[in-house]
Amino acid sequence: MNAGPVRAEHVAKHFGRTKALDGCSFSLPEGSVTGLVGPNGAGKSTLLSLIAGLAKPTSGEITVHGTAVRGRMHPDVALLTQKRPLYDQFTVREMMRAGAAMNDRWSDERANEVLDLLAGVDEDAKVGTLSAGARTQVAIAVALGRLPKVLLLDEPLSDLDPLARDETLRIVMTEVAERGTTVLLSSHLLTDLGDVCDHLLLLDEGRVQVSGDIEEILDEHHVVVGPAELELGVDGVVDSSRTARQATALVRGGTVPEGFQAARPDLEALVMGYLRASRTRRLARR
Amino acid sequence: MTWIVWRQQRPVFITLVAGLVVSVAAVLLLRAGMVADLQAGDLAGCLPFGSECGIRAADGFQDTWFDRLRLAQGTVLAAPVLIGVFIGAPLFAREFEQGTHALAFTQSVGRTRWTVTKFLVAGLPALVVVGVYQLVVHSWLEAAGELGPLSASTFYFTSFDAQGVSPLAYTLFAYTLGMAAGALFKRTLVAMTVTLGLFIAARVLIGDVRESLVTPTRLITNDLDVNAVVPGRPLVVDAGFLDSGGAVVADPTPMMNCTDRADAQGGVDWSACFRENGLAQRYADIVPAGQATTLHLLEGSIFAGLAVLFVLGSTWAVRRQV
Repeated sequence: MNAGPVRAEHVAKHFGRTKALDGCSFSLPEGSVTGLVGPNGAGKSTLLSLIAGLAKPTSGEITVHGTAVRGRMHPDVALLTQKRPLYDQFTVREMMRAGAAMNDRWSDERANEVLDLLAGVDEDAKVGTLSAGARTQVAIAVALGRLPKVLLLDEPLSDLDPLARDETLRIVMTEVAERGTTVLLSSHLLTDLGDVCDHLLLLDEGRVQVSGDIEEILDEHHVVVGPAELELGVDGVVDSSRTARQATALVRGGTVPEGFQAARPDLEALVMGYLRASRTRRLARR
Repeated sequence: MTWIVWRQQRPVFITLVAGLVVSVAAVLLLRAGMVADLQAGDLAGCLPFGSECGIRAADGFQDTWFDRLRLAQGTVLAAPVLIGVFIGAPLFAREFEQGTHALAFTQSVGRTRWTVTKFLVAGLPALVVVGVYQLVVHSWLEAAGELGPLSASTFYFTSFDAQGVSPLAYTLFAYTLGMAAGALFKRTLVAMTVTLGLFIAARVLIGDVRESLVTPTRLITNDLDVNAVVPGRPLVVDAGFLDSGGAVVADPTPMMNCTDRADAQGGVDWSACFRENGLAQRYADIVPAGQATTLHLLEGSIFAGLAVLFVLGSTWAVRRQV
């Protein structure tokens, strides 16, 4: 029954009449790194704060390691929110002291380990003066000092330069390798996700579109290319486009339409296909 | 948690303490100067006021010092609203503006504990500072004695509001008001403005009705010429005449009759005229000076009650924040 450390069952979150999330069910395997993707406003941040326990779902239930999350920070979860909130006037050392003071379970050793990774962060520097990369490192140190079993990262790479992005991902991967932490991270940077994620959770308009092992998902889909005059005529077309010469489509399921050539999509092509389809649906509704 | 709030508020505390040190030093210097003036003019011996000796010297003294003493009382009146606007209002509003509330919320500290700790750690030093400053200013006023603003009734608003538990009650009220406004509106500037506006409104409104919090004592005299003489400058809530049955005469006719007669005859035996017109006694409803403490406590408890509501309101606002 308890498949995976994070399980969501028919989770919905409504803000007045807006349905930020609706009927979300999925499960994350232990030690997996899952990329959470979807267009802006798909409900990614809402989902992360529900899993952390910052907000209560309108209906449905989320369990982390078998215990239900109930409107309070789950002890096994660490969440790093988009803005990477830290006390700017504190030095890094004071920030770590604050982390220790605010947590029932805290490891100075673990937090300092994270700070010492890569180039290392100057502990006497004020947090407000750090570079975006170092600031992210401090924020991750605070998150990992909690010794979480599930780490939630909301756009951890958004304003980092390529080097800092790479290093941040390396910190996260080290954590997964050493401690088997389950990670769920949302990002727009598909190429980076491809390097680190083994699972994918694709949200659109508050619903789960795709969820599971990336390799299996990719196996399930085809990119088909054929002459423009041919009709696709199969089920499971996620997204299709036509130029004067040829038709291209992302198809889910085994059948390849006649006269088309099929290829296995890469992660970027797959996610792009779903995002484009989402936009087309939204435009059609207007 | 206490350490975190302490560290966050450190610049505020430094400002607070520096402000206190500078103002206490200023008040003590002024007090010393004033006491030297008192001794130089040997004014202490001239009291009670109105005795022949040194009225001119006393006038000179008051020209120099009276307004300064009033101003000092004014600073005690202003302190609470400053605390509310500059310490209360930003307490939560700044966290929400900078997003740092999310940092606390994503650790294992509970939101109620977070709110209460912030409230206590940031608020207590402010209350202590206001209390100390109030006492220092009061010692200056007492040194001036009957020559200073304390010669007026203890109920006169600048004196009353700057004494007893009142400054602390106002401070607590202003601080919690600012805190609740900040937690609710999540914008420092909005919270500061709301705090300033509501604080002044509440002070004026409650100041207007606070006299009715104590039942006044009715003093009755059979001498119709003058009001009953009351020692100790009480607060006179109401005064007038009673008929033979002891009921208050609200009708101004007897008064007008006698005034007319006085005008017509160029003088009148007022007391006889009043009696002819059915007035039997004079009364005065007063709050004796001795009851000032009771009034301070009653008014203070209204403000403290509102402060409790604001603390609960802040906690509620913080808990529902996503």
